Amino acid sequence: MKKLHIIGIIVIAASIGLLLSLSGEVATYANFEDAKMDTGVVKIAGKLLKDREMVYDPATDPNYFSFFIEDTKGIAKKCVLLMSKPQDFEMSETVVLTGSMKGEEFVATDVLLKCPSKYKDEEIALRNAAS
Amino acid sequence: MNEIQYVGEHLWPGLIGQGLNVLSFVAALLGAWAFYQGFKHRNDNEGASWESIGVKSFIVHGLSTLVMIGIIFYIMINQYYEYQYVQAHVSDDLPMRYIFSAFWEGQEGSFLLWMFWHIVLGFILLKKAGKWRAPVMLTLCLIQLFIGSMILGVYLPFGDDIRIGVSPMMLLRDMMAAPIFAQANYVELIKGTGLNPLLQNYWMTIHPPTLFLGFASTAVPFCFAMAGLMTGDHKGWLKPVFPWALFSGAILGTGILMGGAWAYEALSFGGYWAWDPVENMSLVPWLILLAALHCNAIATATGYSTRSTYLFYILTFVLIVYSTFLTRSGVLGETSVHAFTEMGLENQLVAFILFFLFWGVYKLATSWKAIPAPKKEESLSSKEFWMFIGALVLLFSSVLITTSTSLPVYNKIRQIFQPFYEGVVIAEPIPHYNKYQLWIGIFIALLSGMSQYLRFREINFPKVRNKFLIQLGIILVLSLAGTILMAQWINAYAWQYQLLLFAGVFAVISNFDYLVRVMRLRFSALGPAFSHLGFGFLILGVLASGLNKRFISSNPLVQRNSIDSFSDEDYGKNILLFKGMPMFMNGYEVTYEKDTISGFTRSFQINYKKLNPQTGAVEETFTLSPNVLYTKTFDKIAASNPATHHYLKEDIFTHISNLPRADTDREYAQEQEDSLKYILYEFGENEAFETPQYKVTVGTVNRSPEHHDYQSEPGDLAIGLPLMLESKKTGEVKSMEPMLVLRKDFLLTFPDIINDFNIKVKLPQQIVERYFEKENKLDYSKFDVLKDKSINFNGYEITFETVESNPTDLNYKSEEGDLAIAAILKLKDKEGNEETAKPIFFIRGNNSFSIKDYNAPFGLHTRFESVDPKTNSIKISVAQSKTEGIKLPIEIAEDVKRTDYIVLQAILFPGINLFWLGSIMMMLGLLISMFKRLK
Repeated sequence: MKKLHIIGIIVIAASIGLLLSLSGEVATYANFEDAKMDTGVVKIAGKLLKDREMVYDPATDPNYFSFFIEDTKGIAKKCVLLMSKPQDFEMSETVVLTGSMKGEEFVATDVLLKCPSKYKDEEIALRNAAS
Repeated sequence: MNEIQYVGEHLWPGLIGQGLNVLSFVAALLGAWAFYQGFKHRNDNEGASWESIGVKSFIVHGLSTLVMIGIIFYIMINQYYEYQYVQAHVSDDLPMRYIFSAFWEGQEGSFLLWMFWHIVLGFILLKKAGKWRAPVMLTLCLIQLFIGSMILGVYLPFGDDIRIGVSPMMLLRDMMAAPIFAQANYVELIKGTGLNPLLQNYWMTIHPPTLFLGFASTAVPFCFAMAGLMTGDHKGWLKPVFPWALFSGAILGTGILMGGAWAYEALSFGGYWAWDPVENMSLVPWLILLAALHCNAIATATGYSTRSTYLFYILTFVLIVYSTFLTRSGVLGETSVHAFTEMGLENQLVAFILFFLFWGVYKLATSWKAIPAPKKEESLSSKEFWMFIGALVLLFSSVLITTSTSLPVYNKIRQIFQPFYEGVVIAEPIPHYNKYQLWIGIFIALLSGMSQYLRFREINFPKVRNKFLIQLGIILVLSLAGTILMAQWINAYAWQYQLLLFAGVFAVISNFDYLVRVMRLRFSALGPAFSHLGFGFLILGVLASGLNKRFISSNPLVQRNSIDSFSDEDYGKNILLFKGMPMFMNGYEVTYEKDTISGFTRSFQINYKKLNPQTGAVEETFTLSPNVLYTKTFDKIAASNPATHHYLKEDIFTHISNLPRADTDREYAQEQEDSLKYILYEFGENEAFETPQYKVTVGTVNRSPEHHDYQSEPGDLAIGLPLMLESKKTGEVKSMEPMLVLRKDFLLTFPDIINDFNIKVKLPQQIVERYFEKENKLDYSKFDVLKDKSINFNGYEITFETVESNPTDLNYKSEEGDLAIAAILKLKDKEGNEETAKPIFFIRGNNSFSIKDYNAPFGLHTRFESVDPKTNSIKISVAQSKTEGIKLPIEIAEDVKRTDYIVLQAILFPGINLFWLGSIMMMLGLLISMFKRLK
């Protein structure tokens, strides 16, 4: 067998090994119940509850922002984001949080906002309309 | 229903444009067919005439596309909003310098940009491709057909309205149904959406054309590879393709790098690379292209690796199309921050990928056996062997990145069979990619250094073995020493990173040694060595700036919340700065000095003082001005643009991560204002009173007050009321001056705020009636004054200085035949302050009139009543506004939320210049190699 064939086989084996290990790096969007069971980091996608309290008081701590989301099972819980409040937060419908449960709170270190049609305005703006 | 006769529409550009669109498509089709015939008959008489038809078709295709692009610019510049593309990307207030950005903001425009570059490259190929012209242009025409179909906008007659592409020439009213189109003059009523404010910067002008030239240039090696397979001349194409591929490598690399520079310089992503799917899928084709370049070099030098060269050039182009699919089909949706919006082109994009993938793989598979390769295998001690290993490592890297990035595609496919399948995502993308790609970096850096000392087709290795081993040994020792030195500066805290650091240092030292000592800067070795040296620097830069990136915007003294199970890293990425209040953070004293608004941009001036860690003395001062861009309605932030202070050694990157909500949300600000509880107090000048928290002393009314929001206009009547406030709690004293302006019939209030005291004070409008008395209530005294003589009134000395003929005044409009004069009076109070008054007297027809002067600072009203020509004296009357005893209304709200702060994020990027230096060297190396191969 040629040397390159052997190396080829090693590379393919390594690829397969690494790709299999990929399953340990992926996650489905969890709900609060899953997050409680899981000791590691999970992603939770949930609906932002706009009528519940949102607390961001930079004078006390600029890296603490709390709000409530409702997960796919319909359970609502308080979430804490350890950074400044993202711009346009109130505009988003769904938020995806990366973090873990600490007691009854979900503590997140990262957030992804999904805003309805962020880049495209479906309405035609009219001249002289309120602007 | 009657057809509406619309007015104000410009239909002819759309008709011509769409005609050219179809012509361009048909010409590309004809070109493909003619070039195919030309290729088939290349050995008989017909070939040449077929080929010349192909050339003409491609020229027609190119020119019609160019004119069509011109027409789109024409309708964009003229703001013909009846066209959907214009309406979606242009607005009245869009500066002309962004017209190009607006053109390629949308999918249609960027497809056209892509085609444009193919046409430019195609025109060069028509001239330069020689005997390869017909088969190369055949493939290029096919590619143009597929891209052209994306913007064709034609409905197929069968089935339920199968649409091919979306034309940029579509009218808005054909694209959507809205009640506005019931009006014949709708064109006058609509306005453009305009360019997304995030994209309104110069990067958007230079990054897309460069990146798309990079994309387009990968098509040329693909066309050559397909030509090689079609003609069966597996050796001949390797030489002409090489400079094209090197060009492509340099441009595509530069385009990707510009994206990183954009993210770093102008967006608040906080870095130049984030392993975002869109970034990944432009990187992968470039990696494969590099692998192809190495195989191409092997193949031209030794004859090995021809098959791999084919495979990699084909893969490069297919991956470019795949990356287009990912960014444009909407499949990434949730996982990427910068994908296009969907346009319903998924199926066409899939067809685009599959066609070229299957065609390429089929041609390669059927020619596999016929592609020549030396019988003897590469020797372990030859350059070609290790170069090929390098190419394999790049392929391996690409497979890993592509697989992880394609998870959304995998989810979509699985959902076809399992509708309830939830889909998986990479939990933490950045550590995930870093973990694997780290090893790729190590391998590539080591290989790029070591293989330089080996030779192609080495047959006499035993002879040079000792020399090779000694050289390698010395370099290894030097690198080890270099690594230990570098580790003083770069903190590589895990052994994997230390290994990468070593590999980077090794790549730098070995390539430098090879270039200078071994090759003595010979031109032939310059390109590769330069690129590899650059790669070494890039590794060092990535390690320094990525691993040792530090959030310096943290203040350890700030009280933390009660979550104690998180590491320090999770805290302290942002600090709060009150205006004018210096704050200490990580060796800097930072002050938010002021903010200014111009247009939609609000800039913040942040002063940094670098403090000596031992003595605390100020070592250096600099000011950064990050800004935020508001949307046109001024009620939301569209973009937060960072500002960076560059040192040779490191960068200090600063951006505004949050603002008071009242500054970004008008409704909320109104709500806040409405919820304030103002209490009305009424006190006279120089009196004192108490509110729940403060002792307030009223000053004397200021007739020429100043306020940062107030710009005085002639004719304004302004009053300000200075107040002294003393906090009952702390005893601290501050002053403020709310003001009010009467401008014609409008009343403008300028409340004043003391943020430290959480207090807001405004003057209600009653103060005007109380303060500016009606004319008839004034008590005038009459005087006769001679020139240069003075009179006394209420302690004021009034001197008649001179008479001015034909005076101009705001309240006096002169008419033909008027006889007008003004008296210039000097007013002087007890303290010696001086003012000038200029009452006017004029005769119009048989009547005389006088226009009084009101001097606000002194509160003096003067009238010029008449002139006595005999004595040379004038008659004036003087009155003073009475302020004593007037109760002034003042409205005070306490416990007002502060709005004078920003939340700031500051990041230190050490050694980031090594990253830029390294990347630029890599691209330069590729360009140098291109020129070498052109010779």
